[in-house]
Amino acid sequence: MYKVKLQSFEGPFDLLVYLIESAEMSIYDIRISEITSQYLDYIKAMEDQNIEVAQEFMVLAASLIEIKSRMILPRITEEGETVIEEDPRTELVQKILEYKRFKEISEDFREREERMSHIYSKPQEDISEYLNNPDEYLSLDIKAFASAFSLFIQRKQRIEAVRKHYTRVERERATMEHRISSILKTVRKRLGERVNFRDLVENKKDKYDVIVTFSSLLEMAKERVVKVEQKYNYGNIEVSAGDNVENDDILRRYSPEEFSEEVLNEQ
Amino acid sequence: MNNKVIKSAFESMLFIWGEPLPAKDAADVFGIDKETAVSLFRELMEEYQQEGRGIVIREINGAFQFTTKEENADYIEKLCTPVKMKRLSQSALEVLAIVAYKQPVTKGEIEAIRGIKCDRVMEGLMGKGLVEAVGRSQAIGRPILYGTTDMFLKNFGFTSLKDLPEIEDIETAINTEDAEMAEEDKDLDQMELDIEL
Repeated sequence: MYKVKLQSFEGPFDLLVYLIESAEMSIYDIRISEITSQYLDYIKAMEDQNIEVAQEFMVLAASLIEIKSRMILPRITEEGETVIEEDPRTELVQKILEYKRFKEISEDFREREERMSHIYSKPQEDISEYLNNPDEYLSLDIKAFASAFSLFIQRKQRIEAVRKHYTRVERERATMEHRISSILKTVRKRLGERVNFRDLVENKKDKYDVIVTFSSLLEMAKERVVKVEQKYNYGNIEVSAGDNVENDDILRRYSPEEFSEEVLNEQ
Repeated sequence: MNNKVIKSAFESMLFIWGEPLPAKDAADVFGIDKETAVSLFRELMEEYQQEGRGIVIREINGAFQFTTKEENADYIEKLCTPVKMKRLSQSALEVLAIVAYKQPVTKGEIEAIRGIKCDRVMEGLMGKGLVEAVGRSQAIGRPILYGTTDMFLKNFGFTSLKDLPEIEDIETAINTEDAEMAEEDKDLDQMELDIEL
């Protein structure tokens, strides 16, 4: 068991440069076999640590292995001639040198960035206010405006805070359409009779219910579906069938779905 | 109009402009040519420097800007909290360095040097306005060519692209530095892993 120190590297060349420098090798005379095995160990270590190894690292691993194998091959042809071949490492060395160059520049850039972070400048001034045609402004003191606005925001926040704790529950209320339909049923059932207004109100304690019934009745009276009579002020209101009590067309106008279903089904 | 008057006006203009003020725009105000404006700005810059003012005039690609003196940063930061730019990551700096020196350059060329994809890094650099598309290469697929922006010059303290240090200069500088640092432990942010054989 031995220890390998892992750094986060910016790319395969970054790792390679690190390995070469740690091994104190000359870039011009890389011990390919040694570096290749270190490189592969590193990749294995990354995989063991479940670090996703970018495919680019594998590409360089493949080139390293290729260079390594080319260096092992005898440089003699079958006829026994010595072939003067270019060092298989040359291209790699060029690439490493180029990469190192930019890595060094990036270090210089980092220092410059650091230095420049101590130098401040100001954004451009807006001088339109001083020019000939200034925009029109709301003639309101900015302080008054700000305080009014903050008051508005505060109030809104308070309401929101309360709302967060309660869900609004609403009773389903009777609609005029419903009421017209139910009044109609009653009137039709009791043709020739006078129906007391009170009997048409479902829940006499509910003001809303009384009002809905009353306005439904007014609507129906207008269309002459019912006749409404009141003998004296505050007296009983009596409802009876009107001329149009059988005329579904008029009623359908108020509430198409309601009448087409309920009323027609009944017939 | 004498130069003193123009320089004085330029000074006021720099103050109000804040951002780098292109010499061309300043020249147009006086109907003088750009070169004259540039040399007047440089005179002004020199005067500020000689007097050791707390305001420094910087030149960025033919534009001029008022900035604070680097040495005064501590005092400014005690007084208020200026907004700071987030530092670039190591990979972003590497890609930026390649773009700066190789421009106009394609993503493919950058990737060939670093051996790793750079799409996300480039996206980040473009988002920060440090790098921009400058055209298309004639190569197959007509890939986009990238270059650095004036914002890059500004944020990294360069006057123009000509001001980028020679690569050789950097190499010697780094090498001497490396020799000095050789004794120091460089394993600061390394993590240790045990590998079983």
